[in-house]
Amino acid sequence: MADLFSNLALGFGVAFSPINLLLCLVGALVGTLVGVLPGIGTIATVAMLLPITFGLPPVGALIMLAGIYYGAQYGGSTTSILVNIPGEATSVVTTLDGFQMAKQGRAGPALAIAAIGSFFAGCVATVLIAVLGAPLTKLALAFGPAEYFSLMVLGLIFATVLAKGSVLKAIAMIVFGLLLSMVGSDIETGASRMAFNVPELADGLGFATVAMGVFGFAEIIRNLDAGAEMDRHLVQQKITGLMPTKKDLIASAPAIVRGTILGSILGILPGGGAVIASFAAYTFEKKIAKDPSRFGRGAIEGVAAPESANNAAAQTSFIPLLTLGIPPNAVMALMVGAMTIHGIVPGPQVMQKQPDLVWGMIASMWIGNLMLIIINLPLVGIWVRLLRVPYRLMFPSIVIFCAIGIYSINNAPVDVILAGAFGLLGYWLIKHDFEPAPLLLGMVLGPLMEENLRRALLISRGDWSVFLTRPLSAVLMAMAAFLLVLALLPSLRKKRDEVFVESET
Amino acid sequence: MSDTPSHGPVKSIMPKWVRGPQDFVGGIALMAIAVFALWASSDLQGMHGFSFGAGTAPRMFAVLLLGLGFAVMVVGLVAEGAHLATYHWRGPLFVSLSILSFAVTIRPLGLVISAFASFMISALATPETRWTETIIVGICLTIGCSLLFPYALGLPLQLFPRFLVQ
Repeated sequence: MADLFSNLALGFGVAFSPINLLLCLVGALVGTLVGVLPGIGTIATVAMLLPITFGLPPVGALIMLAGIYYGAQYGGSTTSILVNIPGEATSVVTTLDGFQMAKQGRAGPALAIAAIGSFFAGCVATVLIAVLGAPLTKLALAFGPAEYFSLMVLGLIFATVLAKGSVLKAIAMIVFGLLLSMVGSDIETGASRMAFNVPELADGLGFATVAMGVFGFAEIIRNLDAGAEMDRHLVQQKITGLMPTKKDLIASAPAIVRGTILGSILGILPGGGAVIASFAAYTFEKKIAKDPSRFGRGAIEGVAAPESANNAAAQTSFIPLLTLGIPPNAVMALMVGAMTIHGIVPGPQVMQKQPDLVWGMIASMWIGNLMLIIINLPLVGIWVRLLRVPYRLMFPSIVIFCAIGIYSINNAPVDVILAGAFGLLGYWLIKHDFEPAPLLLGMVLGPLMEENLRRALLISRGDWSVFLTRPLSAVLMAMAAFLLVLALLPSLRKKRDEVFVESET
Repeated sequence: MSDTPSHGPVKSIMPKWVRGPQDFVGGIALMAIAVFALWASSDLQGMHGFSFGAGTAPRMFAVLLLGLGFAVMVVGLVAEGAHLATYHWRGPLFVSLSILSFAVTIRPLGLVISAFASFMISALATPETRWTETIIVGICLTIGCSLLFPYALGLPLQLFPRFLVQ
């Protein structure tokens, strides 16, 4: 216990110098301002701003990066809520209820609760890392390939519950996403798969490209349809209240706590943990809600829980990052890149050799969260006012920002064309009531899933029963099966009801 | 996000025995995608003893999608469902053209021309556009982007056409 406090004290001692605080504030501010441009997602923002930190000393640079990271992430959540464009995989879920809230004129409360939830989650996760860091690392090590595969399966089943409509179509979308993730080079043999000799496809389809396409461009095209005009007009008329009401706070407080707990636990698992965390938190809220049908139609818990989970997971995912060197998502991978530039190689030694750095960083994560809430609560009003910009001027601007954002990631014009193609695909999907969120999750988890499946089967010498004979894996599989049945039951029951109604008339 | 039109009698091109055209067509399209993926990955190596080849996982997912597409199609056959939604050509056409024009012109013509041109093309996508207003906003946005991305963020974006700079 004494150890814990000395560690945290060391961290805050490092982070709490005026210059470091200022760096963090500047980082968070710039990160938010760039990240909030629709179409410039979290990944693009961090990548764009990374070079600013190169000239600073390592600790200062990492602290500023933490600020940028949180700013960018919050900026991504803002665009998810305001214009239905998720900045990264973890904020896909935020679009579901966040954007609906914005449509109902409640963008302000949604933005505020996202910031508050994130801050709370950040506080808890900081303490949690300090208390449980070492023992939890051992848990992560108990996860073999079979367990990871089962965890991915569970994560994908979570995604079906996200869907508002048919479970079958949601599963089809997940598999479609998995299939899309196969484009590119094979991880083990390096063979080019379904890339049709397009050099830009050799690395696979980028998350940003597909996300901007099926969410950003498709949403714009759909909004331009005749008949959608009324809908838009309504959004601009109905902005009410910037801050959450007491009722909102009471509704979201338990959701924030649950999201934080789930996020902290799942974030520790290396690879995909942070993504699954936000999906899991949303699913959990929907399952225990008295009236699950509110979700996807603007339930504030549907914003509060995943945003808290996502932030808690981002924080605790530093444990696998620092101890095993595995980045949990693309943004963290960029952070590892930045750390390497400063001569810090993530791995088991970092905790022992450079404790000031590790704890300084954990402390700075907390400070980054604090800065975020200081900057963003007053700014909520400004972001919401963006919604009042007439759509005829807003949508060409979003198109341009998206195009520049996608182009700037790899300097590849082909990526922009691909995003456009995915925009048309997304429009078609909307017209056929297929939902893009499960597709995106399938795409993110696909490569991890394949890798772990391959490894697990290699270790078990081709024996598929390994997923059921290893206890931890069996538990995860059982949970997945249970969830699937739970998700399918209502639709089966509904069908029966429909048939019943028909025969009556 | 359902866009199914509720007004007026919809003339269906589908035969009568298709009770949910939206799912029916959607399922068939998914099956087509799966078949295409099977064809595209047919040249990849398959299972190699008990270790996966490069083509194993793509084919596995493609077969799964084929099955699911079939199931969605069957649902469209047996269950009463939504009609095909109406498509509009103006939005998709001009937004796609605008994206395409950006992709084609950004390298040779630079950010200023390419961003402004794309802005104008995408503005064609809606009849609501008021041109003087759109041109002013387009110019402001282009100037803003030209200052923000290459200067403030230091991105390697060319501002002006290549033949002018050289």
